[in-house]
Amino acid sequence: MGNSLVAAKEKHNLKRQSTFGDDNESSWDSAVMGWNPHGKWHAVASWTWDAQDETCGICRMAFDGCCPDCKLPGDDCPLIWGACNHAFHLHCILKWVNSQTPQAHCPMCRREWQFKG
Amino acid sequence: MVDFARVQKELQECNRDFEVSGIKVMPKSDANLAHLLGTIPGPLGTPYEGGSFKIDITLPDGYPFEPPKMQFATKVWHPNISSQSGAICLDILKDQWSPALTLKTALLSVQALLSAPEPDDPQDAVVAQQYLRDYPTFMGTARYWTEAFAMTSSLGVEDKVLKLVEMGFPEALVRSTLVSVDGDENMALEKLCSG
Repeated sequence: MGNSLVAAKEKHNLKRQSTFGDDNESSWDSAVMGWNPHGKWHAVASWTWDAQDETCGICRMAFDGCCPDCKLPGDDCPLIWGACNHAFHLHCILKWVNSQTPQAHCPMCRREWQFKG
Repeated sequence: MVDFARVQKELQECNRDFEVSGIKVMPKSDANLAHLLGTIPGPLGTPYEGGSFKIDITLPDGYPFEPPKMQFATKVWHPNISSQSGAICLDILKDQWSPALTLKTALLSVQALLSAPEPDDPQDAVVAQQYLRDYPTFMGTARYWTEAFAMTSSLGVEDKVLKLVEMGFPEALVRSTLVSVDGDENMALEKLCSG
């Protein structure tokens, strides 16, 4: 289980780094924030996780925020998808999976929990 | 460690649609969010209709990864609820718990259990036997218990005073006794009778 999870997380991160736009897990928006008197545009980008629900079904915190154990949202507190396409904070679903023996089920749909490959 | 941030959110959300659901959850004291009191209305068309049932809720350290502990504080006559202790036999409060469930959805399930008894998987064997062998008597007892234990607290203070005064107790004594037991009519009666 541990190995497959690490693999899942690496793949997930790679996916996020390698695409800019049509990634099915996060989406980027370019935005121009303002005009300054020196005549330069400052372009910034913002991203949000592309999950169907806005909040994690386990901790009930926003996906754009982080799980209760983390202080900052972002790559240190990633989202993870199950084979059933339900998303959770990685830290939240890990706590659930580790508390369930031998087999954990998805908290939302009760299908056997598998990390999306 | 209980995820109190989540509990706090749950309380706000649950009480926000109290008007629709009739379900309420309150902390027993402001200092401790691990001990709560839930209230569910008896479902319409059942012998529990019109009753307001209180449920003691204790959150284990592992909440929401472990189910909340719930038991009826109001006496209730139902095959899957102990008539002695109020213990509830309901799968989602045991092995079918999911962290996506909340206090509100769990209380909704308890309310649904009141509508749909499962006498083949009883918590109270005496009640279950009665349900299976003598359904009219079961209905009568369940209704009587609802009227005796689940409807009194919905009376206004003046109704309670009037009721006890009609039993022959002096009004001043009735009022002071009701205050001393926090408005609980049954406890007030007990206290008045014991002198």
